[in-house]
Amino acid sequence: MENKKFKIIKKKEILKLLESLKKEYSIFVPIEDNGDARFSEFKSGQDIFWDYRNTKISPKEILFPQAETLFCFGPGAEVKAEGSTPGGKDYLIFGIRPCDAQAISLLDKVFGGEDFEDPYYLERRKKTTVISLACSKPQIDCFCTSLKGKPENEEGADIILFDLGEDVLAGAVTKKGEKFIEKQNKWFKDAGQSDVDKKDKLMDLSLNKIKSQIDIQNIKEKLDNAFNDLLWNEIHQKCLGCGICTYFCPTCHCFDITDEINPKAADSKTPEGKRVRCWDSCMYPLFTLHASGHNPRPTYKERMRQRIMHKFNYCPENFKEIFCVGCGRCIRNCPVNLDLREVLVSLMSLGSLCKDKKI
Amino acid sequence: MKNDNNWEPKIVTFLCNWCSYAGADLAGVSRLQYPPNIRVIRVPCSGRVNPFYIIKVLQNGIDGVLVSGCHPGDCHYISGNLVARRKFALLKSFLEYIGIEPGRVQFSWVSAAEGGRFVDIIEKVTSEIKKLGPSKKLSKWQKEAEYIKEILK
Amino acid sequence: MIEKIKETVKKLFKENKIDIFIGYSEGTLPLRSTPCFITRSEDIEKLVWNSYCSNNLAVYLPRFFVSQRGAKDAKLPRIGILAKGCDGRSIVGLIKEHQIPRENIYIIGIHCGGMINTKKIKKVDIVAAEEKNDKVLVEDEDKKKVELKKEELLADMCKTCQYTAPAVYDILLGKEKQKTKKEDREAFIKEFEKKPLEERWEYFQEQISKCIRCNACRQACPNCYCKECFAEQAKPRWIGPTNDISDVMFYQIGRIFHQAGRCVDCGACVRACPMGVDLRVFTYKLIKDVKEFFEYEAGVSLEEAPPLATFKQDDKQEFITEP
Repeated sequence: MENKKFKIIKKKEILKLLESLKKEYSIFVPIEDNGDARFSEFKSGQDIFWDYRNTKISPKEILFPQAETLFCFGPGAEVKAEGSTPGGKDYLIFGIRPCDAQAISLLDKVFGGEDFEDPYYLERRKKTTVISLACSKPQIDCFCTSLKGKPENEEGADIILFDLGEDVLAGAVTKKGEKFIEKQNKWFKDAGQSDVDKKDKLMDLSLNKIKSQIDIQNIKEKLDNAFNDLLWNEIHQKCLGCGICTYFCPTCHCFDITDEINPKAADSKTPEGKRVRCWDSCMYPLFTLHASGHNPRPTYKERMRQRIMHKFNYCPENFKEIFCVGCGRCIRNCPVNLDLREVLVSLMSLGSLCKDKKI
Repeated sequence: MKNDNNWEPKIVTFLCNWCSYAGADLAGVSRLQYPPNIRVIRVPCSGRVNPFYIIKVLQNGIDGVLVSGCHPGDCHYISGNLVARRKFALLKSFLEYIGIEPGRVQFSWVSAAEGGRFVDIIEKVTSEIKKLGPSKKLSKWQKEAEYIKEILK
Repeated sequence: MIEKIKETVKKLFKENKIDIFIGYSEGTLPLRSTPCFITRSEDIEKLVWNSYCSNNLAVYLPRFFVSQRGAKDAKLPRIGILAKGCDGRSIVGLIKEHQIPRENIYIIGIHCGGMINTKKIKKVDIVAAEEKNDKVLVEDEDKKKVELKKEELLADMCKTCQYTAPAVYDILLGKEKQKTKKEDREAFIKEFEKKPLEERWEYFQEQISKCIRCNACRQACPNCYCKECFAEQAKPRWIGPTNDISDVMFYQIGRIFHQAGRCVDCGACVRACPMGVDLRVFTYKLIKDVKEFFEYEAGVSLEEAPPLATFKQDDKQEFITEP
């Protein structure tokens, strides 16, 4: 870390650099969209939303779209899979916040894990270069430092950028990032010590802005025996059962696979249609509804428990990682202000002397 | 569908078993001609027609919908069509409000004795929908089918 | 006001009239209050009442009675609930549709002065806020304070609210508030109606394309208590699962149309929508039509029959095609 070689590039030059890469890459940048930020494919003449607070919808939608066609079928034709990047171009995700970059590294564990490999995700992931932008704009509901994150977290990124105002400092994180910078060398200059100092100062400032701090050490162990705890009866109470927290979460990855059949040929023996994969949410009753009509998670309580346990117990068990990066989206967007931090704090009080602690 | 001159609309009609369906029957046995664009779905009562049927029909790429029941006061179930009337008044107003052409979705009353009236209504509805052209606004599978064809090529 | 609420709730618990009370407590974010469920009298101190109590609490009621439906001897909980005008109207709707038993609900009605729509505050980095009479004092990261007028921040539905207190209640607290004129309430619908057809379609499309189908509008709506929503029904399968715009349109048309004659314009769907879809311009159209066609308003009387479950011989029928 200390010996990392930083490069520097003028902000204005970055637009030119991206412009020159358009042939090679599908480039995704944060842009302003209805007063919020959202990742969108880079178009010529478009400006990057440098100062964005984190995007409303997490950039996981680039690698794991809300709805994706797995393959199409039709009369007389063979099944054809379709999941690669359009036009065969590589992906460049530019300016993603470190918490979301970390989330990508978590998704990699799910979709490229030892037990299962997801060819659709992996194909795209293999072609993707992630350039993250260190966070100088934490919000009051950000709590990445309570987990493994920090404003300049490098996990999941190939290159990390620091916005110094006029200039942008760039540091390669992975081999892929090194190669990228090498190849685009003409745009970069070596950074001086003053620039690096400036960056350190900026990060300190940013770190201080993250005031929300919760202690969730050993949360996995706490939850190991908490499945039947009475606390769940209270935690879920105000939950409406919408899918905002899961749809906006950068690490939630549950999906549902359905066949969509053209109604024109629905009755024929060779129907025409496509198989699609869509985001699903454990907060919906349909998520676990059996064909028999039985639902093992019949009420809000079981569904809420599932979401928390999955992120903070099952995933640490399976992947050795907590599946939360502290981006705060679920807190920010919850229509009833059901605060994940509060839930975690009350779960941490489990087993302690004061059983009667308030939520 | 491609050639505008030869394009003929497809219209789904929901006809109540007791009046409008019998009216259509009467038009048939009386050898009255009406445009062949309609596809008839017989329903027990106009009150049976769920507004979703209508939206679903449009989504499936059909160009127009006609729901026809007994005249007010003639309902076999006494008041099915009167309850339906309220539902359809709201639906029609709402669909127009969001921008669906007024002629796409129509409602009428035809009794079992009105073969001639049935023909007139079908003629009117067909010519109106023909003027509007193919329905695209809610249709789903038009572009989907093209996409699938492209992939399967 | 809050003292009066606490006092009333305390009394209810003391007299053993309720098992659970639903109100608001302080939220974790500035300008937010959060629904709160009280079962112990010592928790009553948590209750708050301010201009951020925007959630419609009626949405929580049906779930208390779902599992017991059908079971004869099941002991139903007695629920106390704090109800603004809109919450109260939603409760009336739920009682009328036999989702909740009137005798098990103790309604503490409250005169509501309107709730703030935080999205109207353009400053994004508010870290603290304080309400003072008709002003809201917000503070940003750099401790800079800005004073905002509450009136300017009121949510659209609150600005044009006609029923600031519930029509049906067991006890009513607070002072009566001013109501807005009918013309002002419907102005935005009339304006939209005047637009050309294609422009209206354009707008509908634009709004719907924002939707990500997170179902928050449905879940936040007290009227959406169906055990199985049409959107998720497998037989018949009304809509596909993708975010294809045609499917999303079907979903939104279907959900909004299901509210015909039932919607009380509480704005829960609008508030819950994380994508800022302008749902109200569509939901209010049905409110206006129902009023105009059938002279009915949802949630103001327990006796009047729901408009789509009844009819009049001379109902409007100009829309019927004549040869």
